[in-house]
Amino acid sequence: MSAALLTRLQEEYGAVRAALPESVTAAGRRREALETLCAQGLPATREENWRYTNLRVLERARFAPVQDPAGTLPALPEPLEGFARYVFVDGQLRSSAAAPHGVTVRSLRSQGAAGAGWEFAAELPEARLALLNEAFATDAVSIEVPAESAACGIELVFVAAAAAQHGASYPRVRLALQSGARLSVVERHIGAADCASLVNSAVRVELAANAHLTHYRLQHCGARAAWFDTLAAQLGAEAHYELLAVGTGALTARSSVHARLAGAGAQFTLSAAALGEGPQSQDMYALSEHLAARTRTLETFRGIASGRSRVAFNGKIAVRESARGTDSRQSLRGLLDGPEAEIDLRPQLEIYTDEVRCSHGATAGKLDENMLFYLLSRGLAPEVAGHLLKWAFLEDVIARIGLADLRRQIELGLAGQLSEAATLKELL
Amino acid sequence: MLTIKNLHAAVDGKEILKGLDLEVPEGEVHAVMGPNGSGKSTLAHVLAGRPGYSITAGTVLFKGRDLLALSPEERAREGVFLGFQYPVEIPGVNNVYLLKAAVNAARKHRGLPEVDAFEFLTLVREKMRLMRMDESMLSRGVNEGFSGGEKKRNEILQMLVLEPALALLDETDSGLDIDALKVVASGVNTLRAPNRSMVLVTHYQRLLEHIVPDRVHVLVKGRIVRSGDRTLALELERRGYDWLMGEAA
Repeated sequence: MSAALLTRLQEEYGAVRAALPESVTAAGRRREALETLCAQGLPATREENWRYTNLRVLERARFAPVQDPAGTLPALPEPLEGFARYVFVDGQLRSSAAAPHGVTVRSLRSQGAAGAGWEFAAELPEARLALLNEAFATDAVSIEVPAESAACGIELVFVAAAAAQHGASYPRVRLALQSGARLSVVERHIGAADCASLVNSAVRVELAANAHLTHYRLQHCGARAAWFDTLAAQLGAEAHYELLAVGTGALTARSSVHARLAGAGAQFTLSAAALGEGPQSQDMYALSEHLAARTRTLETFRGIASGRSRVAFNGKIAVRESARGTDSRQSLRGLLDGPEAEIDLRPQLEIYTDEVRCSHGATAGKLDENMLFYLLSRGLAPEVAGHLLKWAFLEDVIARIGLADLRRQIELGLAGQLSEAATLKELL
Repeated sequence: MLTIKNLHAAVDGKEILKGLDLEVPEGEVHAVMGPNGSGKSTLAHVLAGRPGYSITAGTVLFKGRDLLALSPEERAREGVFLGFQYPVEIPGVNNVYLLKAAVNAARKHRGLPEVDAFEFLTLVREKMRLMRMDESMLSRGVNEGFSGGEKKRNEILQMLVLEPALALLDETDSGLDIDALKVVASGVNTLRAPNRSMVLVTHYQRLLEHIVPDRVHVLVKGRIVRSGDRTLALELERRGYDWLMGEAA
C-alpha cells in the first residue's frame, strides 16, 4: 500500500475531522487510531492474511464518511417477529424501535459518549480496518443487556445508500452482555443494487460469564459495493457465542473475526456460508484464540465459487498454554462451479499446550456428477439441478439458523425457485 | 415402445455393449439377465443418458423417436424412468421437493399447469402407503440415511408418482430382504399397464417370481444371446450362465 494513499487518507481526515462527532469517538482517540494505522500501513495482498482480498478498491476509495445520508433506500427485508429493528443509513441511525425490556440500545451520535470498551487495536492482529472505522465513524450503536436477562431479539439493518465518491460508511456496533444474559441479534448489510459503496464496519462483542449471544450476520450489499468488516469478541467463563454469517453480496467482501475465549468453558460456534458469482470475491479470516481451560470452537464453513469469483476462508485456531482441555473442530468445504472460479481454504492450528482435542478438515471440489445425473434423470433442468445441489451444499450452515422466519428469508434469497419447497413443508 | 438395434457403447475406450438388439413392445415387461460385467447396468444407464458413455454405433428408438438424441432430462420428461441400482444420497434436497420438481418438469413439458400442492401430497401419501414408507421420509434429504431397502422403495415411489411410459429398473432387487422385495414387486406390479413398458435388469431369478415378465433376455459380453419366455429365467437359475458364454463369442 503506497505512501501516497496514506497521505491522502490523512488529508481526508484533516478535511473532515471537525465535523466528526465527539460522542461517537473522541477526537484524541480518532487521531490516535489514524496514527496507529498509518504506522502499520493499510493491509496489502502480499500479507499472508490478506492475499485473497481485493484491496485495490481502497486505492480508489474516498475514506471520508458520508456526512448527511440521504437518497432513497432499497426495499428492506420483511421484519422478523419479536425483533426490535434499527435501521442505519450510511452508518447513521435512521429509525429505531422500542428496545426489548431491560436492554439499552443507544445511538452514540445522539445519545451520549462512547466510554470504554470500543477499542480494537490492543489484541486483534487484523484490526487495521477497524482503526480506520474508529477514525471516521459518524455513529455507533451500543447494545447493553443486563445480567440474567431473558432471551430477546434486536435487528440492525445497515443500508449503504451512497456511492463511494460521496463517501464511505462506517457501521459501528458494541454488544455487551452481562452475566447470564441472552440475546439474539440479526445484523444485515444491504445496499442499492447499482451502488458502488464502500462500507467498513467494526463490531465489538463482550460476553460475561454464562452469557449467550446468537448473532446472525447477513451481508448482501449491492453487486458493485466493497464491504470490509472487523469483529472482535471476548468470551467469559461458560459464555457461548454463536455466530452465523452468510455472505452473498458485494463485489469485494472481507470479514476479519477474532474470538478470544478468555473464560473457562467458553464456546465459540462459527457457521459461515459464502457465495461468489461473476467477478465477486468473498474472503473471511477467523481467528479463534483459546486462552482458558475447557474452551471449545466449532467452525463450519461452506463456500461456493461460480463464474470467475474467488471465495476464501482462512480459519486459525490458536490454543494458548493456559487452555488445557480445549476442544476445537473445523470443517471447511468449498464447491467450485466453473473453470475460472477459485476456492481457497486454509485451516490452521497453533497449539501450545497438551491435553487438547483439535480436528480439522478442508475439502474443495466440483458438483458431484452422480448427484447431478440423478436429478437430471428425474427430469430436472441442469440449471435447477445445479442450483439444488449448491443449495444442499450450504445446508450444513443454513440448517443451523434457528430462527425459522430468517431461515426462510435466506433460503428464498439463495434460491428463488425453492419457494415451493417451503410451502410443501408446511403442508406436511 | 423401445427398439434397440446394433447398439455399441464404450466407457473410457473399452467397448461394453457390442451390437445389442432388443425390442420391447408397449405394455410388456421384459427382464434382462446376465452374469456380472455383461453390460446390464451399462445398458440401463445408456438408455437414461448418463454422461461418460460413448455410443459408437447403433440406434435406439423410443416411441418412434431417436432416444439417443435427447438429453437425460428430456428423456425423463418424455417418460423414461431409471430406477438406480445405487440410489444417490443428496442431503439437503428434500424428497418431496424432488418429487414435485420432477412431476412439474414432466407436466410443463406436456404443456400442463403445475400440480396442485395439496392434491400432489395426497397422491404421494397414497403411494407411500403402498410402499409401506414412513411419511417422515418425505421431509428428509433424498435417500439421506436410508437403508438399502428404503432407497429401493423410494425409487419405486418416485416411479409410481411419475408414472413413466418406460421404466428401466436396474437391479432393483439387489440388497432387499424378502419382505422388502415383495413390497417393491407389488409396487412395480401396480404400474403394469397396456401403455407402459418395463425393463427389469437383474442378476437373479427371484425378482421374477414376483414380477412375472413377458420376455426374458440373456445379456452376455455386450450382446443379447438368448431370448425366451419366463421359463428361460428358471433354466438360468438351474444351469447358471456358463452354458451361454460360448454363444457370445
